[in-house]
Parts: sequence; structure tokens; C-alpha cells
Amino acid sequence: MALKKTPFYEIHKKLGARMVPFSGFLMPVQYQSIIEEHEAVRNNAGIFDISHMGEFLLEGKDVFDFLQYIMINDLNLLEVNKGQYSCMCYDNGTVIDDLVYYEETPIRFRMIVNASNIEKDLQWLHDHIGEYDVKVTNLSRERSRLAFQGPNSDDLLQKLVDVDLTQINRFYFSHCSLKENPIFIARTGYTGERGFEISFENKYAEKVWGHLHDTGATPAGLGARDSLRLEACYSLYGHEISNTITPLEAGLFWLVKPKEGINYIGKEVLLKQKSQGTERILVGLNLLERGIIRDDCKIFHNSNQIGYVTSGGYSPTLKKTIGLGLVEKQHSKINTEIEIEIRKKLVKGKIVEIPFYRNV
Amino acid sequence: MDYKFPKELKYTVTHEWVLLEDDIAIVGITDFAQHQLGDIVYVEMPDIGMVFERESNAGEIESVKAVGEIIMPLSGEIIETNSKVIDNPELVNSSPFEEGWIMKIKISHKDEVENLITVEEYIKVVESEEL
Repeated sequence: MALKKTPFYEIHKKLGARMVPFSGFLMPVQYQSIIEEHEAVRNNAGIFDISHMGEFLLEGKDVFDFLQYIMINDLNLLEVNKGQYSCMCYDNGTVIDDLVYYEETPIRFRMIVNASNIEKDLQWLHDHIGEYDVKVTNLSRERSRLAFQGPNSDDLLQKLVDVDLTQINRFYFSHCSLKENPIFIARTGYTGERGFEISFENKYAEKVWGHLHDTGATPAGLGARDSLRLEACYSLYGHEISNTITPLEAGLFWLVKPKEGINYIGKEVLLKQKSQGTERILVGLNLLERGIIRDDCKIFHNSNQIGYVTSGGYSPTLKKTIGLGLVEKQHSKINTEIEIEIRKKLVKGKIVEIPFYRNV
Repeated sequence: MDYKFPKELKYTVTHEWVLLEDDIAIVGITDFAQHQLGDIVYVEMPDIGMVFERESNAGEIESVKAVGEIIMPLSGEIIETNSKVIDNPELVNSSPFEEGWIMKIKISHKDEVENLITVEEYIKVVESEEL
């Protein structure tokens, strides 16, 4: 099976990026240095190719009700020109995908989903549309996507767009132009910094990248994307949330809404978990000895395994190793001393508060 | 890609370099190796006094995304490890042949030096891995 390329593939190669397979795409993991790219986002601005992600358009008079049925968040909290983060869950409360949908009009929504779940999400939508008057259009390959993130992203981007960015609050979006290139721009992001996510037709890809790059922002790859989101403690599908983990176990209590009088898939299990608590919960991890926390490492407390690491790595901002883990509720208190098994060696660590970093 | 290949050093096919000074060998990883690993964030050094056989695993070098093994180029006793690298692992990226040296070995079997490869042979190893 051949790996897919985004419209920015040649640009990545020209910049000397190291390309790796990711969700069926050849993506840049780094250009020169993951740490440098990470720091550029924290200190100035970075550009991420997120064209591998999925983008759907949902249209029809029943879109609102359909989304209320398949999403755990409450669309009554939405408004036109605003987006909402949600999980789509199975009956047993575990997660199909986490995603963001944007209300363009009450009968037209744009949805951005994880690259790894595009086919699965489309299938789920089609399987549950039933009698709802909704049309789903898959724009994933017709449009390009870039994230522009960092403390200077507002100032740098304002020079390029014809809309007043100060009027777009977090999670709100607009259709506007970036130097004559029509774009969809939302104040959302996955880095823990202020920033935007932009979507546009493929034919504008090179021009839009060029303008963004000319601001002095640093191209950043998947390596930095992961270290940034880990510091901010944003869930990564397949790690903190998955088809074996519920949003409540992942600490996303606020996502599970009562939605009284509205039936949604997973409602019963999720509301029960919300009121009764879960048996395991996501916690932050630090080491007390030298080493680097890695994904899937077992977590022990007094010689008993109490959980495992969902995501681990090095934090360039904190200059130490950090991690997230799913552990038994009774051992999840902050400052609990634990041991993490890293490649057959037990390393002392402790449970710490999260997030490690946020600057939104 | 332009990597540095100092001529005065000996090499291994597992990307270590060796500087021989009588029966002491100073060991590190090559410019190619540090580039493959990416930003190095942690080095697991062997303990001083430990004795290892040639080709055994003496320690680990961790980058953001990968873990590499430090393979003993020669049998012997670890007599010193680079404390600067312990505190600043990125030295292995910025100065793999100088400030980023990893450890010093007291060689136990001098004849094993014959197993080390020359710079020309090592360049060929890198070229074949790059294909």
C-alpha cells in the first residue's frame, strides 16, 4: 500500500524534513530539531502541516439533532461561527474519536477528525444517520490544513488576513482571505499556546504556506506536535482516549454533558460513570530518578502494578521527563510515589498535577 | 548529507568511534549516529568499575523519539564517564567527537583493536545505510 502525501510534501522535502509514515501519510517528524521546533512554538510561532487530518461537511435540516445524538457534548452550547470539542462514543462509553465541529449555519457543520480515524468516523456517521436528513461530504483530500501556533501568532497572522483576529475568540472561526487566498480560520489548537488552525482548498496550499513561512514562523513537525500537546496534556487518540478508555477515565469530565431529554450514544454509561466515578483515572507523571518515561511502561505501587503510561517523553519547556498514565483510582493522589518500569528497570517516580503547561 | 568523519579515529559498524591512547580507549558515537537519533535528551552511562565484553550493551542514548544502545567497541573496564554529557546530553549532538565523548575504557584484550574499522570502511557503512 503506497503512503499518501499532503500538498506540502515537496515543501517538507526541500526544507530537509525527515519524513515518516503516519496514519497512511508520509509526514515530517522534524525538519532540523524537535526541540528547536518545540521551543519556536513556545517562544514565537510554528507552522504545522495537518493536512492528513479528516475534514467533513455535514449539511441538512437534521444536522443539529444528528450531532446531538452521536456526540457527548451539548450543541445547545454552540452558536454560529463557533466550534466545539467533543468525543464520539460507543454505547459502552469508550471513544470512537475526539474531534471538533464548527457551526457554519444551523444546517451546515464542518468537522475535523483524527487522520487515523477518518474511515472509521465516516462509517460511524453513515451507520447512524438513519432517518436524519443529513448529507456527509468528505473533504479530507480536497482541502489542505495548517496550524499556526505560538504567542506571536496573532500579530504575525494579522498582517496577512483581512479579518480582525481580536474579534475571533477561542473556539470561534471565520471565513476570510489570507492575502487573496480564501481560508477557513479557527482559533483552536493542540499545542497549549495561542494560535489558529486554517483550512483551504488545495490549490492555495503553496501560496498560503509561503505567506506563513515568510512571517518568520518555524515549520514544525509531528515530533514537536507531540511534545507540545503532551506538555499541555491534550489527549491523543489511541493513548489517553481509545476504544477501551472512556472520556471520564481520561479526565474529560466536562465533556460528558447531561443533555436532559436528549438521547445520545453512550449517555447511560457515561452519566453513571460521571456520578459514581471511574475505577481508573488519568494522572500526570514525573520521575524522581534519571530516565525518560515512555509509552506503555507499567506503573507500580508497592510492587503491584496499578496502571500504565499512556504517553511519555521529554519536555523541552520543563527540561525534564513527563508522562501521562492511567492508574487505579485509589492510588491516583498527587504526590503518590510510584515506580515506572522502563525497559526492565524500575525507576522511582511520582504522580503530579496536570497540565504541565498551558499558555492559552 | 555531510557528516564528519575524523581520520584519526577508529570506528565500529554500530556507529561508535574510538580514540586509542595505549591501553585506554575513549569512546563516543559518531556524527551520523547523533544525526539519526535526533535531539538527545538522556544518556544512561555504565557504572565506573564495571567490566564488559566487546559488542555487549554498555548503556543507552535516548533522543526525543528513539533509544540507541552504546555497544562496547572493545572488552574492558569502565574507568571514566563524561559527567558533562550526563548533565548536558545535547553535547552528543553538537560535539559528538569532542565534548560529547561518552566513556573511557581500560582495554583488556589489545588484540581486539584489529576488529575496529578504519574511517574509509566506516564511511562505506554509512553510505550503505543511507541508501
